[in-house]
Amino acid sequence: MTEQSITVLIVEDDIQIRNFIAYTLRQEGFSCFAEGSAQSAMSVLVTQKIDLMLLDLGLPDFDGMEVIKKVRTWSEIPIIVVSARDQDREKAGALDAGADDYLTKPFSATELTARIRVAIRHIQMSARNKAQPELSVGDLVINLEQRQVFLKGEALHITPLEYSLLSLLFKNAGKVLTTQYIIREIYGVGYGTDTQALRALMAGLRRKIEPVPAKPRYILTEIGVGYRLVSE
Amino acid sequence: MKQKKLYVFRDIGLVTVLLALATAIGAVFQYFDFHQTNVVVVYILSVLLISRFTRGYFFGILASVISLLLFNWFFTEPYFTLKVNDMTYSITFAIMTLTSILTSALTTKVKKAAEDAKERENQSNALYQLTNHLTDAEDVNAIAEITVKSVSEVLVCPCAFIPFDEKGVPESVFVQIKEDGGIVRRELRGADELQRRMEQLHESVEITDRDYDFPIYGKSSILAVLRIPKDVGEKISASQTRMLHSIMESAALALERLRSLQAQAKSNEETTQERYRANLLRSISHDIRTPLSGMMGTSEILMSKTDKDDPRYGMAMDIYTDALWLHGLVENILNLTKIQDGKLVLNKQPEAVEEVIEAALAVMEKRMPDRSIQVEMPDSVVIAPMDAKLISQVIVNLLDNASKHTPSDAEISISVSVGEKNVYITVSDRGCGISESDLPYIFQKFYTTAGRSPDSKRGVGLGLAICQSIVDAHGGKIKAENREGGGASFIFTLPIGGESE
Repeated sequence: MTEQSITVLIVEDDIQIRNFIAYTLRQEGFSCFAEGSAQSAMSVLVTQKIDLMLLDLGLPDFDGMEVIKKVRTWSEIPIIVVSARDQDREKAGALDAGADDYLTKPFSATELTARIRVAIRHIQMSARNKAQPELSVGDLVINLEQRQVFLKGEALHITPLEYSLLSLLFKNAGKVLTTQYIIREIYGVGYGTDTQALRALMAGLRRKIEPVPAKPRYILTEIGVGYRLVSE
Repeated sequence: MKQKKLYVFRDIGLVTVLLALATAIGAVFQYFDFHQTNVVVVYILSVLLISRFTRGYFFGILASVISLLLFNWFFTEPYFTLKVNDMTYSITFAIMTLTSILTSALTTKVKKAAEDAKERENQSNALYQLTNHLTDAEDVNAIAEITVKSVSEVLVCPCAFIPFDEKGVPESVFVQIKEDGGIVRRELRGADELQRRMEQLHESVEITDRDYDFPIYGKSSILAVLRIPKDVGEKISASQTRMLHSIMESAALALERLRSLQAQAKSNEETTQERYRANLLRSISHDIRTPLSGMMGTSEILMSKTDKDDPRYGMAMDIYTDALWLHGLVENILNLTKIQDGKLVLNKQPEAVEEVIEAALAVMEKRMPDRSIQVEMPDSVVIAPMDAKLISQVIVNLLDNASKHTPSDAEISISVSVGEKNVYITVSDRGCGISESDLPYIFQKFYTTAGRSPDSKRGVGLGLAICQSIVDAHGGKIKAENREGGGASFIFTLPIGGESE
């Protein structure tokens, strides 16, 4: 899939932003459909071949969350949610409902195209990575068969919990994972919602892989939402 | 008093009549030559009847003694004397006396038990009625009226009911029942004094010069006072006291129920208002931010389409920076409104301080990609309960403030240290510092540094005010000081335990 052949569906009710996004994407060589409501977006989605959807959460006719759930019943295309700044709960909810990433208004053209590329790469990589025992980001390498982690070629001593956290992030490289999702995956469904243990676990892991934990190179904090492993 | 005398006369009459009747019947029996045992039985019957219909033990025993004497006088030889020829009669006398006394005692006891049962039944009926009415009562006034009515049925008197509010202060108006059963509302005098007395009270009643004040307590605090005139209070019987306490308990239950209903209604109301407020803020912020995003995006495109030397590039750049500034302002105003309403619900969770700093640095990176910021962190992980988003906003504001007052090549640093109870986060710069005259005011809303045209640095003086509000809401402290060697530093604390000491 080259970028020229990628078709993006923009669902945004504000016409200025819709135009700005559409213009930017066309400049970057994507082709796109722009719709102002969930209803019309749905009909485009079923009639056209769409590779990625940019979805505003505040649509006039339907709750964005409902749209995500509906699309996820039959399609695995990457969905990037566009939302205002203090809608953390909606963001986390959208990610848990199946969205892949989110963009916070106002965002720049560079940010927008970068996120789209990450999402596209993620879907390509996860298809490729299924068979691969070794994944890497920068100098950080994880071997899923040997359950080992290497930094700059040297094996790291990490605990089993740190390993599950890191492998979870690697399997979803580039994608934002919500705090609650990570807790469920690592500690199990019955664990509850307490974030303290995860914060401590993450801090411990970062001390092993990041030179400056407050300026991380690999695992980024999406404050109020979750974490993301950079993909290059 | 009068009534009692009347009873005594009636009882004396009853004794006289019944004993006379018994003697008369005895005379008839003797005339027809019946056996004397029959006469004895008639006397015992009369004693039994007397015990049944007179009050107390006294008349029954009196009647048994008199009937013995009468029998002796009229029916034993020699007649009309208290002498006895046949000594076997002494046995008859003894048995007769004993039987009479026992009969009288038993009858009186049975009678008393029946009376007690009747009274208890009345009381429980009255209480049942009271509870029924109290369950239907919809406000404090209704409860007060029902209570005084039932108290006045127990102790015929003009009693009063003084309700107290949630803070334990007597209400200014109380409810009183008059002698004729009418209900009046009166203004309470000496409320402060009553409150003070009730706070110091350790017994179940407070006796003043004029009244008996019975406090009615709920689970945690005083709910009301029941006031009874002193002359009535002095003569209150044990069973009336029991009844009174039962009434007060019922009233307390009803008042508690009412309070919990009111508290629930109030919290429902607050939830609704909170939702309205949140919705309003959200739609405003959405409506302002969306066009700003459009402006920023479009000007960005214009910039990418023009050559850097082209004057149009500068214009597009100006649009972009202005929109960005406006966006930051909207953000700050929204935050401030939320916080200063006092209605802000902090989403406090255990968070790693390094992550919050990371988020703030990411924002600064976006705003000022060329600015480098030094970070000093302790080796150990620092986790404290906080609203990560808001604390990160504090750090952004402090860094932003520092960068405004510092030449672009001068140092800005952020450092974290941990004390026993608090985390200390410091943002320092090597800028121009803060003048002594500004220092006390910099955290005030809309305060901008004096001696400078307000426009030159583009500040409306909200940033630091927001920082202070957020830190306050977390139970921490924030202060500013000048550094040795130039520059300023801002230090704020966050309690590790979550609450301030």
